[in-house]
Amino acid sequence: MYQDGLLAHYRAPHNRRELKGATGRATRKNPVCGDEITVMALVDDAVLSDVSFTGRGCSIATASASMMTDAVCGLPAAQSVAMVELVERTMAGAADISAIPEGLAPLLGVVPFPGRHGCALMPWQALREALAGQG
Amino acid sequence: MLHALAPRADFPLLAAQPALHYLDSAATSQKPRVVLDAVRDFYETANANPHRGAYALSAVATDAYHDARTTIARFLGVADADTLIFTRGTTEAMNIVASSWGNANVTAGDEIVITALEHHANFVPWQQLAKRSGATLRIVELTDAQTIDLDQLRDVVNGRTKLVAITHVSNAVGSITPLDEVVRIVRARSAAVIVVDGAQAVPHLPVNFDALDIDFYAFSGHKLLGPMGIGALVGRRAILESMPPYQFGGDMIEWVHDLDSTWNVIPHKFEAGTPNAADAVGLAAAVRYLETLGMANVRAHEIALLELAESRVKALPGITVYGPPAAQRSGVLSFSVAEVHPHDLATILDQHGVCIRAGHHCAQPLMRRLGVSATARASFYLYSDSQDVDALCGALEAAQQIFAYAE
Repeated sequence: MYQDGLLAHYRAPHNRRELKGATGRATRKNPVCGDEITVMALVDDAVLSDVSFTGRGCSIATASASMMTDAVCGLPAAQSVAMVELVERTMAGAADISAIPEGLAPLLGVVPFPGRHGCALMPWQALREALAGQG
Repeated sequence: MLHALAPRADFPLLAAQPALHYLDSAATSQKPRVVLDAVRDFYETANANPHRGAYALSAVATDAYHDARTTIARFLGVADADTLIFTRGTTEAMNIVASSWGNANVTAGDEIVITALEHHANFVPWQQLAKRSGATLRIVELTDAQTIDLDQLRDVVNGRTKLVAITHVSNAVGSITPLDEVVRIVRARSAAVIVVDGAQAVPHLPVNFDALDIDFYAFSGHKLLGPMGIGALVGRRAILESMPPYQFGGDMIEWVHDLDSTWNVIPHKFEAGTPNAADAVGLAAAVRYLETLGMANVRAHEIALLELAESRVKALPGITVYGPPAAQRSGVLSFSVAEVHPHDLATILDQHGVCIRAGHHCAQPLMRRLGVSATARASFYLYSDSQDVDALCGALEAAQQIFAYAE
């Protein structure tokens, strides 16, 4: 699970910054470990034109957030939500692995560790909340 | 080489998984075969509903349940065995006191004293009792070594204090509370009822309830080699007799008229419904196993392991250990590793066959005071040995290798 792809995102996360003018934001916390991720989204004309996150978390949560921002930035908002569902199905072992974009491949390493699924999903669930009601 | 106090071969799960280093006994203990046999044996040879039948088998079941109670009471230094109420565990025991005693005796203007060290089971029931009743919740803070600040306790307890709830041993950092001193302080300043959480004490230290001058003591059987779902609340007879029941139903009644009922005597008043007799019998077997080893030996073994583990772990870079020195703590080592999130630590250790707990340990108020959201916790018991310590340290080094250059 801790291969270089994942660790690189943990050591130097992409898009960990505040997003001024965000049209949506949401925070998810994991009460078991106290991790907290806030995802900020800027939706412009139904397209997710910018996305970022803040907060501290374990390597899985942080790397997942980082990879997420790369994967969804520039997508139509609806497609971003569909990607959240794809990641959830992947964790549940119910997705076609070939549907996973290459940038998210390190997340596949988390699938055999059910205790860490929550960590991987935390930023994605925050993204869905942040996008809720923004078309 | 520090050998285990009890042979691994006595524990089927550990015997079947020789590469497993189980260091989460504070969460739940592994079970010796004699306990599993006792539970099975009850169902195979003595199973009937205690107290209710008029036939020989029912008498066998009743005796087995009764004998379990007296065995466990004796182990805890409780001469009056009927003041030992079987419960599901410590959590249920605390809720019984908060509900049954608390609702009838605590009102607005009263004070309830707890500490920052408490497990949620000995924190939240009192917090909610305070909210319900309008009483004031006072929280005694900690020393730098994460023991209860007795000077603060002296300041906080006063004539308005109705109840003091305190842990005997902290599950999160292992601190042992000097109960005699606490009792002296509380008795000198108030008429408060003293409730003690013994969940992490009974498995690891000799406990003598009758010598303690407290009002309630609770513990969980699964932490001392017993089955899950069985524990007890011990209380002074006068208090238990004065309390209204917690749950209503069969066995706890004497007469049931149409519009009202009368209650059975203790312990039955607080044991509504069919008892968990099989697991009470299992717990009695666990107690006999511990008596064979001797609790003083259990304690000495843990101190030796803890000192070894602490010195080895502290020799690694970037380690913070929480809690007081080994002589004042039970076999719990709570620590954090710089650069490695507790969750990641637990996963990597798992890959090396080492089971530890990473999280808030059901002690979020304590974690806040430590300035962390989670720690890693390794806990030892009578089947742990120095090879477990070796495995722990080896895995910690591996984790540090992986994360050495992270942030």
